[in-house]
Amino acid sequence: MSDPVVRCRSISRTYQDDSVPVRALVNVDFDVDRGEFVSLAGPSGSGKSTLLNVIGGLDRPDEGTVEVDGVSLNELSESALSDLRLRKMGFVFQAYNLIPVLSALENVEFIMQLQGIPAQERHERARAMLDELGLSGMSDRRPGEMSGGQQQRVAVARAVVTHPVLLLADEPSANLDSRTTEELLKLLQRLNEDHGVTIVTATHDPLVMSYAKRQVRLRDGEIIEDSARQAA
Amino acid sequence: MPLKLLTALSVRNLFRHRRRTIMLLLAITVAVAGVVVTNGLIRGMQFDMREAAVANLTGHLKVLAPGYLDDPNIEKSFELAPGWQPDLPAEEMEGWAARIRIPAVIMSERETRGVQFVGVDPAREDISFLGDVAITGEGLTDGNDRRVLIGVELARQLETDVGRRLVLITQGLDGRNREAGFRIAGLYDAEGTALEKQFVFTGVGALQNMVEAPVVTEVSIKLADELYEQEVKQQLTGFFSAQDVMDWQELEPQAAAMFVYVDSAILIWFFVIMGALIFGLVNTLITAVMERIREFGMLRAVGMKSGAVIVQVVLESTIIMLVGVFVGVLVGWVLATQWLGDGIDLSQWAQGVEMAGMRSVLTPYVLVGDIVLVTVLSLVFGVLAALYPAWRAVKIKPLEALRR
Repeated sequence: MSDPVVRCRSISRTYQDDSVPVRALVNVDFDVDRGEFVSLAGPSGSGKSTLLNVIGGLDRPDEGTVEVDGVSLNELSESALSDLRLRKMGFVFQAYNLIPVLSALENVEFIMQLQGIPAQERHERARAMLDELGLSGMSDRRPGEMSGGQQQRVAVARAVVTHPVLLLADEPSANLDSRTTEELLKLLQRLNEDHGVTIVTATHDPLVMSYAKRQVRLRDGEIIEDSARQAA
Repeated sequence: MPLKLLTALSVRNLFRHRRRTIMLLLAITVAVAGVVVTNGLIRGMQFDMREAAVANLTGHLKVLAPGYLDDPNIEKSFELAPGWQPDLPAEEMEGWAARIRIPAVIMSERETRGVQFVGVDPAREDISFLGDVAITGEGLTDGNDRRVLIGVELARQLETDVGRRLVLITQGLDGRNREAGFRIAGLYDAEGTALEKQFVFTGVGALQNMVEAPVVTEVSIKLADELYEQEVKQQLTGFFSAQDVMDWQELEPQAAAMFVYVDSAILIWFFVIMGALIFGLVNTLITAVMERIREFGMLRAVGMKSGAVIVQVVLESTIIMLVGVFVGVLVGWVLATQWLGDGIDLSQWAQGVEMAGMRSVLTPYVLVGDIVLVTVLSLVFGVLAALYPAWRAVKIKPLEALRR
């Protein structure tokens, strides 16, 4: 029996690009079950990042409904959406987006601080997470003192340390070399398999797609291929 | 709201661009120190004007016969019971003096002038400028001294000197002129020539003899603190029910108006200086916010509320303002009380200074209340200056910010 963490129904999203309407998503139905590792692939402008953003509540569809962990995002205010992202989602961005004035440990603790987790607990959890991701010697370093791969691992640690229902990663390997990308993907795979973290990633990197359990391809705002449907 | 986290972030962000932060701190420090020093100088001027007004034979309170102010002459006088003195606690009153002050004509062998002829008890005149003046020759010995003390400038105009005789003509209670000769005991050198030209002093008893009436035209009281003014005024009004009891603000309305105006001038000056500073602060904060717009986008994407972003920007502004104001107040206070502690010599602008009712040395006077006001208003300005940049930080959608 399926247990959807994400449930999108008939979602459409149109942008105005220099007054020209661009249909980023067209009537998309898309579900993600708990524990899945899904890659959204497609060329630039295919709608994969838009779909990811709509699922993450960073963008709102013009039409259709989006539910995350049973909560409909359509009716939520900006403040409630913020709260939902804080409590249920983890984000990994293409440009890492760590806070440059905080150390690796503080960056990992940061979202737990926003969640109000007590200092002792968040300190222990952040240290354990950095250890698990092979960053134990980096905890006092600031982002500017780390390589791109190390920064992205810190970003992953920050995203998953709060045990989110859903981890959303937008082009996580875009700024990494192939060796570092492979390390990152093994890490995501381990988090998915060992910790049951549900992952949705937008990418056009075949290596990333190869690590995902389910590949979804988009073109011109529509899903043209879904490995889950094919298997069914 | 995680205030501890936001404060830590704000402090660290200030260290991100040290040079910019230091320049901003310098600007705040200079502005606040400038405000503290100029406020001190303006207050010094304000208190000088009040002191001069009170010392100008006025006192904080004065008892006068009704109508004396409109037509000051010996008919507008009253008698004091022998041995009378104000029934006031010693801690409230610095001193008092009963005087006759009437218009008179003074004549030397060469010149004639119109003056205010004032009968005083010199022992009581430490409450007026007469207690501070330098005297060439001798001062008056007591209330029955028949000699006169005239100003240096008047002596120059009358072409006379110590030891010479002068004739004074004034009106007696019966309306007839009284004329008498007086020897000059000494010449007094006041802060301004206006006083020296205006007042001629003799013993109060001597003047009572001249006008043939045991009367006074005024009782002047100098208080230990202006705080007691209204309370003492009420007491005196009860005692002198047939006379007018007036405070220095009523007697010297121009000085009083200036005194009130200075309070507004201090605020206006503060707003001008800080207003200019705030433009710089807003500009710097906008730059700082726009440089970190992706970071703000990330913070909001991961769930930080708009309010927390606003608080973070406001905290940055408030912290830098707090440090700048603290250093500025300290520097300003040191400059005002140590560097300018002995005062600024304004004697080269003596005429203008005299017209403004000030002394020739302007000493800054730093009030704790002014420091508190500058500190509180600066912090309020710091918060207000951050609101627009903070609004810019939250106005942009997280997704747009992340794409930049």
